[in-house]
This record gives sequence, structure tokens and C-alpha cells, in this order.
Amino acid sequence: MRKKLSEMGYGEEGMVKRIDESLRDQLAGMGIRVGKKLKMATKQPIKGPVVITVDKSSISLGLGIADKVLVEVEK
Amino acid sequence: MKILLMGNPNVGKSVFFNRLTGAKVTVSNYPGTTVDYSKGYMRLEDEDFEVIDVPGTFSLEPRDKAEEVAVKMFRENKDSVIIIVIDSVKLERGLYLALEIIEEGYPVIIALNMWDIAKRKNIQIDVEKLKDILGVPIIPTVAVSGKGIKKLASEIKRAFPADINKIVEMVGGIA
Repeated sequence: MRKKLSEMGYGEEGMVKRIDESLRDQLAGMGIRVGKKLKMATKQPIKGPVVITVDKSSISLGLGIADKVLVEVEK
Repeated sequence: MKILLMGNPNVGKSVFFNRLTGAKVTVSNYPGTTVDYSKGYMRLEDEDFEVIDVPGTFSLEPRDKAEEVAVKMFRENKDSVIIIVIDSVKLERGLYLALEIIEEGYPVIIALNMWDIAKRKNIQIDVEKLKDILGVPIIPTVAVSGKGIKKLASEIKRAFPADINKIVEMVGGIA
């Protein structure tokens, strides 16, 4: 099932399917690109940032950015 | 000659700076500690080098004030040797910046820092293969304990620009 990174729940894992063109370079610099596996580690309440785990390291992303990343979530 | 310490935020650049220059720059365990830059000097075989601790950046396209400072320092010091500090646990994003820097034609040395933590996390990096691909010196380091620093310093005078076309060839072209 595909959903936005911002819609993933705690502990959900998936693979990046699409990244908004405008963010592609920025996220590549943070180790996030299409084909990368990630896991939702923490979600801060009230439009706070999300923390995801990629390659055994944590990265926090603003909700505005997480909205523009599409992930194929594993069942 | 100048030496620029560059890398992602929170990879240990300032620890390197302190180790190389004997200075006491504030080091703390959160990203963005260095938003301005620090300058110091080190002596290598009777030659003085200016060492600059550049703020952390993810790429050469700045997205905030600290990154702007970083990129400006980089562009203004064309005659420098760049020590690229990479957090071994976060190799991929470190390499992203490293390739951007290599592409600009600067002589580089790569420090795979926090080598001990990567080991503990069971992350294995084939340093020899990485050296073959990138064609530049790559040294595993643990800056906080000093491991690898001497070896790193010994490479500074011999640093040379890598050939980006050869790297592209080595990895089988651009995807």
C-alpha cells in the first residue's frame, strides 16, 4: 500500500517510491532516495517533525517534507 | 596552504580541528554546533598550514545560514586541501557530499570517522574497494580517541584531486 511518509504509523516500514522533484537533491544529501528502505521511528504530535530510520541512522524531517515523499508500505 | 574540514553536521569535524591544531573549539553532541567557522594552525614537517573548521553541510547547495557559510568558505578557498569527514554509520550521505566536492576538483582526503561505532553496529565498510573506486586516500578514524589522526595528517601533503570521470567509469556509469 502506498502512502505519504507523513501518513505512516509508528514502526511501519517501507520503500521510497517517489520524491517530489523539488526535494530530490536535498533528500539525497540526507541519504534518502527512491529505492531506499526506511522505518518510521517517532512522530511528534501537532504537526511536529517525523523521525525515520534509514541505514541504521535516524533522520528527522519536517512534516512539509514528509508530505512530499511517497512510500510503498510493507504489510 | 589551507586545509578545510568539511562534512555533514555532527560527524566530528570540530574534534578533528582540535586534534590537528591543539585548539579548544566547543564540541557538543548535536548538529549545528559550528555555525560560524574557526581558524587555527598546524605544523607539518616544518610547514605551517591554516586549518579551517567549516560548518556542517549536506550538500553544496546551501539551505540554511550555516550551510551558506560552509559553501562560501569552500568556494573562496580554491587552493585548499579538503579533509572530508564522514560518519561511518551514515556513509551514504557522507559520500554524496564527498562526490560533490571531488567533482569541483579539490584535492581531498576522506576520514571515515566514528569507525568504532560503526563496528559496534556491525556495519562493515570495504575501505580498500572504496579507495579503488574514488582514487583518494581514505582513513578510518576515531577522532575522540585520536585513532587514525596521525595517518590522516601524513596524507595531507600528498593529497591530490580525484578524477570524477574515472569514478563514474568505476561504478559503471551514471544511473
